[in-house]
Amino acid sequence: MQRRHEDIKFADVNNDIVRSLVETGPRYYVTLAIAVLITLACFFFPWFYQLYYGIGAAGMNHPTVWGTYLASFIFWIGLSHSGTLLSCVLHITNSEWRKAMYRSAEAMTLFSLMVAAMMVMVHVGRPWFIHWALPYPNQMELWPNFRSPLMFDVMAITTYLTGSSIFIYMGSIPDFAAVRDRTTGWRHHMYVLLSLGWRGTDTEWHRLGWAYTFLAVLIIPLAVSVHSIVSWDFAMSIVPSLHQTIFAPYFVVGAIYSGTAGIVTVMFVLRKYMNFEHYITKVHFDNLGKLLLALSLIWTYINVVEVFTGWYSNDSAELESLRYKLFGFYAPLYWEMILFCAVAPLLLISKRFRTSFVPMLILSIAINIGMYTERFLIVGTSLSRQYLPDSWGVYVPSLVEISILVGSIAMFCTLFLIFVKIFPSVSIYEVKETLPAPDEGKTQWQATH
Amino acid sequence: MASNALGLFGGPTAALAAAGKLKGAGFESLDLISPIPLHGVEEVLGKKTSVIKRFTFFGAIIGGLSGFVLAAGTAALYLHPTGGRPIITFPPFLIITYEMTILFGILATVLGFLISARLPVLRERIYVPESAVDKFAVTVACEADEDFKRATEILREAGAEEVSEIAPGGGRR
Amino acid sequence: MSLIDDFLARWHEYRRPGYYEEFDYHWTMTVDLDRCTGCEACVTACQAENNTPIVGEDAIARGRHMQWMRIERYWEGEYPDVKLRAIPMFCQHCDAAPCETVCPVSATYHNQDGLNAQIYNRCIGTRSCAVYCPYEVRYFNYNNHHWDEPLDQQLNPDVSVREKGVMEKCTFCIQRIRQAKDAAKDDGRRRVQDGEVQPACVQTCPTEALVFGDRKDPDSAVSQMLGNERAYTVLEELNTDPSVVYLKKVDADAA
Repeated sequence: MQRRHEDIKFADVNNDIVRSLVETGPRYYVTLAIAVLITLACFFFPWFYQLYYGIGAAGMNHPTVWGTYLASFIFWIGLSHSGTLLSCVLHITNSEWRKAMYRSAEAMTLFSLMVAAMMVMVHVGRPWFIHWALPYPNQMELWPNFRSPLMFDVMAITTYLTGSSIFIYMGSIPDFAAVRDRTTGWRHHMYVLLSLGWRGTDTEWHRLGWAYTFLAVLIIPLAVSVHSIVSWDFAMSIVPSLHQTIFAPYFVVGAIYSGTAGIVTVMFVLRKYMNFEHYITKVHFDNLGKLLLALSLIWTYINVVEVFTGWYSNDSAELESLRYKLFGFYAPLYWEMILFCAVAPLLLISKRFRTSFVPMLILSIAINIGMYTERFLIVGTSLSRQYLPDSWGVYVPSLVEISILVGSIAMFCTLFLIFVKIFPSVSIYEVKETLPAPDEGKTQWQATH
Repeated sequence: MASNALGLFGGPTAALAAAGKLKGAGFESLDLISPIPLHGVEEVLGKKTSVIKRFTFFGAIIGGLSGFVLAAGTAALYLHPTGGRPIITFPPFLIITYEMTILFGILATVLGFLISARLPVLRERIYVPESAVDKFAVTVACEADEDFKRATEILREAGAEEVSEIAPGGGRR
Repeated sequence: MSLIDDFLARWHEYRRPGYYEEFDYHWTMTVDLDRCTGCEACVTACQAENNTPIVGEDAIARGRHMQWMRIERYWEGEYPDVKLRAIPMFCQHCDAAPCETVCPVSATYHNQDGLNAQIYNRCIGTRSCAVYCPYEVRYFNYNNHHWDEPLDQQLNPDVSVREKGVMEKCTFCIQRIRQAKDAAKDDGRRRVQDGEVQPACVQTCPTEALVFGDRKDPDSAVSQMLGNERAYTVLEELNTDPSVVYLKKVDADAA
């Protein structure tokens, strides 16, 4: 019973999306329970053990004091980079295909940022004092050091988290109002509060439109700055192969790349399990595929440049670091990354590939595995080959670290599963905008442009 | 007696046309309630301006200033000479300034939105639940009974599916 | 408004690179590699003086040794014509230290004596200082350590015992510097004289390869060494401006 996109009526949109919120099958509860259990067992339990024992529970050692926790932090921050950023860019460029998918893409941003913040807590040696990195007046009269790249991170991520929560919330107010009228009980009360008494008058729409556009304009430079700043945690050091001017664009491109792949994964899951087949269509996968292809080419280019400039410098420390990365202990991981992130995405040249769902899902997961490897290699290979050969070493993640990585993925899934039952995961009013108006043969958008 | 007339329409074109006619007939206090943002509403009801842009602009400026003051001021409050750098260094503090500009810009935009859209609603207002699905409503505030009659007539002529009266309290009759 | 006036009046101080116009003392160490035999007596002395934990075999195997001072060992040439190069390596107390700027909570900073100070209580364990340090001389407490009997009886009461999750490193035996300064003050003198303060490693070195003193005193032993033509600093090209100066080993047959 595949309906054509043009045949969907306004009321169908409300029905379909309210159904996705209130009708919950046993499959959902089972999935949620599994996700919560894995989060508890694989994230919180090892983390509490680590709090008790010390960071020694992880595999970090003398030269390689940063490990998978930091790699995961960059990975999750990176994954957050496509949702809100892409949504903002597509919003101000008035893109039609954004409207069915932006809500869940933004949710991805929000939740991966939250998981990234948890990774910081896991990463530091004394997380019970993490508040010392926040600027608040205190009786010690001590303030954080704003000259530190890590403080830039604190400021940027706080701003980004605030900005993207506000952005997703503001875009959902009219939808909360629509859902409010259709729900009962605690859900009704919740949506009454969340919708702020939205009525949908012309004035309200006008104000929302302006505020939303301003937010989009503010968030685009913010998102670019966030991952630049994350890259400066590394690039501001003088460690060979980390001290690179290309790191900021490299990280931003990598982040958008991995985030877009993440969107493909999430879209596939939503489409399949939330019955959004006629909202999320081949058009979306086709467009996302084109974007992925472009990003993979830029990413490959920057990787080549990084190797080339390192080699051209002929600096002994830089050369050793490069040799270690390409042919050393971690070399299989490096070539796996090249295969997953540079070679495999070339398949996207074919339109048939871009519009087939399962291959796109497999590719998107492969890209994110490759991108995680990239982050791991940035931390692992550079730190284990620094200036003094006496303190060279090898770092291998411990079981606790691997478990926490698995647990962080489960935590992301848990948050997302809760999200799909509270937020309309497809925007009701923006999908309606793409449909033909009830008394017209064509869409609003087509009528005015 | 002051009351509100309400016309429900099946589509945006008819609703906009009705609003235009009411505007032409001298009604000033008009509201269009719709499930989607209507394009072309400004041509009918006149150009809207909002104060949000001022909020964003001044919020961003205040944020930028306070960002620099936060970084430079706290550095001066407790001196920690580090790495042969000055206590107040511009490149890092400009990054803090940049982030705080955006943070305050965002927060001020939200404040501006809430104030100018008069949200959250604290007392009851005219609300049409159908307009959250697929109906387009036009509400008119009428001073006298005559005005109300005139308004309902115009709404019917414009093809309203339903015309009713809304008491000042909000309930539909 | 006095706060703002005060701020503006001190603006030029805030903009001065490194903040200090002049250090009170400029503690410096020289390491004469010609004299160093690589005996590691300094390493042991440091461990005893500074309550550095004995981490055990397992942790060493995992690369988690805790030695504020280590002897780097390099082999030069091919067997049988092979030479041992031993280089004592410890915190270089750089005047332009990369580790200081990166700490988000200011747990490490430059003090008025030109020392790179580490505040254990303030450290939150981001470990970024250890990444930024090109000399790899910062050591992290991966877990709480304990001292077996009777070693717990010989802990130095002048030095704190660090908890898990905290970064630590060579302090140039700041507790001894403090004591020497206090003693000088009690004697009614204004300054510490040359030779009055020695870190544990310097005190222990049997060949007197290590010399410690105030660079600002032109007559101090360390100032005399600085003029030596063999003097160099490690990783000079990184412009970290270290306070530890090495004197190159010159082979008799090479000369």
